[in-house]
Amino acid sequence: MAHNAASIRTIDLLGVFWRSFFIQASWSYDRLQSLGFAFALIPILRRLYPDRDEFAGRLAVHMEYFNTQPYLASFVLGAAARAEEDRATGRNTAADVEELKKTLMAPLGALGDSFFWGSLKPFAASAAVAVLLTGAWWAPLLFLVLYNIVHVGLRLSLVFVGYETEGDVVILMSRYNFTRLARRYKVLSLAIIGCIVGTLTAWGPEFRTDLSVSPPLLAAAGLALTLGMIVLIRVGASPVKIMIGLAAACLILALGGFA
Amino acid sequence: MPDTHTIIQVLIAALIGGIIGLDRTALGQFMISQPVVAGPLTGWLMGDVTAGLVIGGTLELIWVLDMPIGTFVPADSTVAAVAATAIAALGSTTPGQLPVIGFCLLLTVAMVPVTMFSDHLMRQRNAQIPELAMTSSGQPTEASVTFWHLGGMVAFFLKAFLLCLALVPAGLILVSGFLALPDAIHRAMSLFITFLPLLGAASVARKLSMNTLDRTLLIGFAIGAVSVQLFHVPELAAIILAAGGGWMGMRFHGA
Repeated sequence: MAHNAASIRTIDLLGVFWRSFFIQASWSYDRLQSLGFAFALIPILRRLYPDRDEFAGRLAVHMEYFNTQPYLASFVLGAAARAEEDRATGRNTAADVEELKKTLMAPLGALGDSFFWGSLKPFAASAAVAVLLTGAWWAPLLFLVLYNIVHVGLRLSLVFVGYETEGDVVILMSRYNFTRLARRYKVLSLAIIGCIVGTLTAWGPEFRTDLSVSPPLLAAAGLALTLGMIVLIRVGASPVKIMIGLAAACLILALGGFA
Repeated sequence: MPDTHTIIQVLIAALIGGIIGLDRTALGQFMISQPVVAGPLTGWLMGDVTAGLVIGGTLELIWVLDMPIGTFVPADSTVAAVAATAIAALGSTTPGQLPVIGFCLLLTVAMVPVTMFSDHLMRQRNAQIPELAMTSSGQPTEASVTFWHLGGMVAFFLKAFLLCLALVPAGLILVSGFLALPDAIHRAMSLFITFLPLLGAASVARKLSMNTLDRTLLIGFAIGAVSVQLFHVPELAAIILAAGGGWMGMRFHGA
């Protein structure tokens, strides 16, 4: 073990940040993100272990099973970089590095899934679709901006936070209150979804119905239909089955001369 | 026999699907692969932006909360959006032909099991990659890990590329049959488009709230309906007002 190993530089952590975008390039059922984690950590291992055999040994260790939410993996990568630095300078053991990864991946996976997939993405999608339904061509750009300001910003900062805090989740949670943020995004999404249904009569021409119904009645019918479909999904009907049912209903309406 | 132009267009659509498909899992996850982006982008490249906007916007809300948690791999909404948009763009007699767009949206239902199965197969094959990254000495090297890891992206690209290459021609055959059907069926598919955003809204609301009659959802509805119908507020302003209403409600209830 090299007790006089070089310390990690900002450029090395930036290298990890860049490589974190490829963390799922070889995602598989058996090892999930294992190879991606090792690949992302290469700039750190290269810096700390100039000896080829030691480098290969540490690389092999990081190829063991690893899986978490891909964006919050940045935090684990930063923490693992710090743990490797401590190991290389003799302040830590190999077992500590592996233990740290195992401890972090499950809770961060649950946290990240809930925040990014379960609240930020539906918020950006609801806002973009609401704008798209008015006929605005720039709705996809709005989606990308709303989502990626948070996504890329967090991915970058979390590499450094993970490194500085040595993987302390308590500090992470106090600095970024993901649970509260997730709740806020969900509330905003629901309000926008409600607005989508409420503004049904003002949707762009592609989405506007030719049914001869007064606007207030149409909006009320839209709400009733939406609530009906929520109930159907709640009792187990999949959106795919409801799509088929809607197509059949439209066919009946058209054949009956109502459309 | 398809003409050369159509074959080239199908190949372009498959390339678009393959490249955009990388963003879904393997590269970046900047969400370019989400239907609301992938659909319009494909539509723009294939010469029918309207088809892309309608298909992308519609599929987005329906699939947005189908989450890749743990080892669960959801239906590939990227391939569905790209393929459906390409089919609509190439199969329509004029750009933005609503009955064809509606029919293509219905076709995405059939694409779901195909995309899930192919994703499953590919990820099973990927399990061999870590072993391949080991050199003859039994240890990995920087070069071997980099080569085999990044090589995994080829599999993700090929999966989406080949799926689009198979689904777009199959869809075009079905669209040519659809165009010959009576006008009432075409009207039905135009009407179908109107209802799908409501299904998307229901799908999102169901996953975000435990209550069918969610208070915030109803506040958003009331603000949207009243501001547009009673006060003739522009729709974009109505969306901001509804978001503001949701925000105020959240502050009031201390969320």
